[in-house]
Amino acid sequence: MNESLNQLTTAIKAGKRKDARAATAAALEAGLPPQSVLDALTEGMNDVGVRFKANTIFVPEVLVAARAMQKSMDLLEPVLIASGIEPEFSIVIGTVEGDLHDIGKNLVMMMLKGANFKVIDLGVNVSAEAFANAVAEHKPDLVALSALLTTTMPAMESIVCDLSRIEPPIKIIVGGAPITPDFADQIGADGYSADAASAVELAQKLCANAQ
Amino acid sequence: MQYAAEYIGSNYGTFASDYRTLVHANIACAEDFGFDQLSTISDPYRETQGFGAEIIYHENGVPECVRPPFADIDEVEELQAISLPDPEQAPRMQDRIDAVRLYKELTGDRYSIMGWVEGPAALAGDLRGLSDFLMDLIDEPEYSACLLDICADTAIRFARIQINSGADTIGIGDAICSQISPMVYNELIWPRQKRLMDSIKAIGGKTRLHICGQTEHLWPKLRELPIDLLDCDHMVDLPKARAALPPSVVLGGNLDPVNDLLYGTPSTVAAKLEKSMSEAGPNFVVNAGCEIPSGTPKANIKALCKPRLRKC
Repeated sequence: MNESLNQLTTAIKAGKRKDARAATAAALEAGLPPQSVLDALTEGMNDVGVRFKANTIFVPEVLVAARAMQKSMDLLEPVLIASGIEPEFSIVIGTVEGDLHDIGKNLVMMMLKGANFKVIDLGVNVSAEAFANAVAEHKPDLVALSALLTTTMPAMESIVCDLSRIEPPIKIIVGGAPITPDFADQIGADGYSADAASAVELAQKLCANAQ
Repeated sequence: MQYAAEYIGSNYGTFASDYRTLVHANIACAEDFGFDQLSTISDPYRETQGFGAEIIYHENGVPECVRPPFADIDEVEELQAISLPDPEQAPRMQDRIDAVRLYKELTGDRYSIMGWVEGPAALAGDLRGLSDFLMDLIDEPEYSACLLDICADTAIRFARIQINSGADTIGIGDAICSQISPMVYNELIWPRQKRLMDSIKAIGGKTRLHICGQTEHLWPKLRELPIDLLDCDHMVDLPKARAALPPSVVLGGNLDPVNDLLYGTPSTVAAKLEKSMSEAGPNFVVNAGCEIPSGTPKANIKALCKPRLRKC
């Protein structure tokens, strides 16, 4: 691999935003294919996801890695668009109504971006109607719901129920600290993930199966 | 909290903004269900308001902090110039002190009265913005240490007044710690939690620590804190926690607030309790792992609180 691409992957893994930006700039100035830069970035985030899932790193380390990834993407994204390289899949994401926490949702969002998903972020305290409107407007491959509070889990159930009536049907995945696989099954979600890295794997699997 | 507010026909916004509603709601629940402890917790933003944040109340939701007050304070020197809030001047901190005093006035010694403070990490996240605080832990350890000292000092001051007003126990909410690595926790957060707990113990208070989620990775260091009661969320393995923590630490838990209490039945609650009690051994108190949601059937909470004899 090219030296600047190696440096980019290393910078993402270590959460070094300035290094990530410099390596991205160097790779693009050297005329490397934008897809190869994206692949180097994705390799770094994949490594972060694996270590997060294995509990060898925790949320702060993932946040700084994701921030480094975003610094790289700020330079890379216009070049990708100009080259006609677009994300294969898209996802609408938000924290459910009544819940103002965004850290889990943001982690999933950044990991999805690192895996080259187009992410439409609806923010926090998102109603079923706002999710439904976003589905109608963006026609995503998936919807992802997040909740941190035990007290907002019933809102998640209500939103899944409302979204399940949409035609054509849309796949829904759920997650968040208090959510369990049993709860996800019980409310009729199509998938559950325990952490941000698993959410990316789940999203990739559901999108690939739908093709 | 929302459950208690609705139990007396009020709402979460009023519960969080008026100590009289909080007190009457919690006493009504304690008397009807048989709780042993009265709590003063409502939301995380009592101290944050003391540092100047604007707080918005929602009728049926958690209060909202409009903007973290330290969002633009990036330098250690700026932190060092900040004055701690006076709990008896800051309206939302004073409201909690008033709750403690009213509990004492109305119930005397019938119940344990638990005051509440934000733990150092939780308050740092509230003041700085959670994502920024977590990234600061990696990028700016000196800044983080200074911020965490401010938060610990605030908690010590707030805890002391609550104890002097009638609280016998101080609950410490440090929810975010479960998401932090042992290395960062040990170096930056644990020393401040220790200082806070030592201070509470020194003036005769008991300590209760609440960390949301899985805390197993922190137990090797948590066991060195002077904790009287450690809340265990529903994903915590009670036998492992019992084995890892000193026998003197009372474990609290660990029913799943939603799957066990909201969606369970009295018989499933009872079965889960029997399991928890047999797993946790002595020095165990029953509670939900986290907040009981609005709409939980009354019969399930009665089942949670029904006195049980431990099988020998």
